[in-house]
Amino acid sequence: MYTRRQRHSWSALASPAPLPLVLCALLVFAAVSRAFAEPIMVRDFLNRQVSLAEPARRVVALAPHIVENVFSAGAGQALVGVVSFSNFPAEAQQLPVVGSYKAFSLETILSLRPDLIIMWASGNGLKALSKLESLGVPVYVDEPATLDDVARSIGDIGRLTGTEKTALRQAERFHSELAALRARYELQTPVELFYQIWHEPLQTINGAHIINDVIELCGGQNVFADALVLAPKVNIESVLQRDPQVIIASGMSKARPEWLDQWHRWPTLRAVRDGHLFFVPPDLLQRHTLRLLQGAQRLCGQLASVRND
Amino acid sequence: MLSRPESKLVEVLIIRHQAAHYVAANKVFWSQLLLLLLALLLAVSLGAINIPLAELSRAVVGAEQASQSSLIITHIRLPRALLAALVGALLGISGAVTQGLFRNALADPSLIGVTAGAVLGASLAIVFAGTGLSLVMGLSVVSIGAFLGGAAAVILVYRLATDAHGTSVTTMLLAGIAITALAGSFGSFMEFIADNEMLRRISYWKMGGLDGASYPRVAIAGAIGLPVVLLLPRYAVALNSMLLGESEARHLGIAVNRVKRMLVLLVAAAVGVSVALAGTISFIGLIVPHIMRLIIGPDHRVLLPASALAGAIFLPLADTLARVVIAPTEVPVGMVTAVLGAPFFLFLLRQGRQRG
Repeated sequence: MYTRRQRHSWSALASPAPLPLVLCALLVFAAVSRAFAEPIMVRDFLNRQVSLAEPARRVVALAPHIVENVFSAGAGQALVGVVSFSNFPAEAQQLPVVGSYKAFSLETILSLRPDLIIMWASGNGLKALSKLESLGVPVYVDEPATLDDVARSIGDIGRLTGTEKTALRQAERFHSELAALRARYELQTPVELFYQIWHEPLQTINGAHIINDVIELCGGQNVFADALVLAPKVNIESVLQRDPQVIIASGMSKARPEWLDQWHRWPTLRAVRDGHLFFVPPDLLQRHTLRLLQGAQRLCGQLASVRND
Repeated sequence: MLSRPESKLVEVLIIRHQAAHYVAANKVFWSQLLLLLLALLLAVSLGAINIPLAELSRAVVGAEQASQSSLIITHIRLPRALLAALVGALLGISGAVTQGLFRNALADPSLIGVTAGAVLGASLAIVFAGTGLSLVMGLSVVSIGAFLGGAAAVILVYRLATDAHGTSVTTMLLAGIAITALAGSFGSFMEFIADNEMLRRISYWKMGGLDGASYPRVAIAGAIGLPVVLLLPRYAVALNSMLLGESEARHLGIAVNRVKRMLVLLVAAAVGVSVALAGTISFIGLIVPHIMRLIIGPDHRVLLPASALAGAIFLPLADTLARVVIAPTEVPVGMVTAVLGAPFFLFLLRQGRQRG
């Protein structure tokens, strides 16, 4: 069958044919090539091959940062299901919710008839993965750890949803703006910084955290980069000992946390003495999305003001 | 029926008989006091920062006011060591009382529902008190919610187990388990309806720990804890008699129901305040009384103060280790209490068996 058809097409090309026939052949070829198009193949963060016959039209995203990245990739209109706390962009709040990132309903997900599910490995856990795979729905597993991973996620989502152009443009812009910040700030006088996630317990991040990447990009030096765990609970004494020049608090909401001012109990701290107690909203630094750029701009600006003082 | 002096006599005979096996109570008491002082000294002198001993003594005396080291000692280490000692004492003595009251070696103070109630109270406060969690005397609304939640759970358990014939400890034990489960599931529901910010607050609160120590908190722990620690040993004789069985105790002239009510209330206050101030610290309430029982015997007149002191020695030590072992990172103190206490307990257990 195959060889015969091939021979036919060869003969059609070889002999001069009337124009309408050629046009017809081209149309058929276009249709066939669309139906038998190369499947979309993407490797996810677990190095699994995710292949789709055609771009996904009904996507369920199982983490707030994934929802945000799907919108950034230009595929927001393909989203049919999200998890709770998917609060950015505003359109995401109108979408059907399938549960929280820790506890979602497989039945609700299936009732949305998705043709692609995007999971978050460390948040969702991998128990659900085998179940979803056995049901035959393609699953892309996301697990961004670095700034580059954010761009990679967005690019992958773009390819899977057929919005590659937008996605790559966004990823490119993210890269180039970060590179610009890096070029401007990375090699300036280092500023010793304490990043405070919470006050009770006193919690920070170590050098392996994505926030540390942003800190370094801005020419900052995380005073607890050497700590053993990703988000260690630290002793207040060691903060006094490491005497940071600036304390950046993240807190929980868009408002500056009240507890940031508790540092005034320690007037000998350099950060307190010079009034360098700053705040960056956690969504801008703790989510693996394009908004990291805003967080980075804000942090770099704050560190620059410390240098100028 | 025995009259009061006779009941005392029985008491003394029982204790005399046992006393030969155990170390003299007096010696234990004084060495415990000494160890407590050493533990507090260690807790104050060790930390993430090395403070030379000379500076340490100057800071303690108060000769040097403004220096950073003296601030660290007087405002960070000392309140934390004191809070640890108070919470340890409360957990130790409540554990001994609970085990005596329930005549059950596996009883620990959280058995009567107080811990689960406190966790639920804290979650409710976080979800419904809004973001303006103002501070009242260094205590957040969340801590107050925890204390009230713990108290409510205990009152409920006690009511459930009490009828016209008095309070049944078996019913109380089962009701405690049921209320713990119920409070736990309500707590999960709170976490379910909480938004992201509240959820993180709840999980931070559950982690607990002594790092929030401050003088106001020490004052609160002392104001509630010290009376409890001083009052509980007054029920030692009653607890001893109740070990024979409740009706036997009643025949020995003990007002069993009144004693039970007082003990439950005092234990609830003790555990409630310690959970509210330091979160849930497991293990001490269960193992410390057993360790002391192996050393000095089951006589509650000695066991209760000894368990309080042992808890007061043990928790500051465990907390000091938690602070320095991988400094600057702090290890959860509950982990250290188990790692230190379990082998020591097993050692004593083996010794006891060999002794027969």
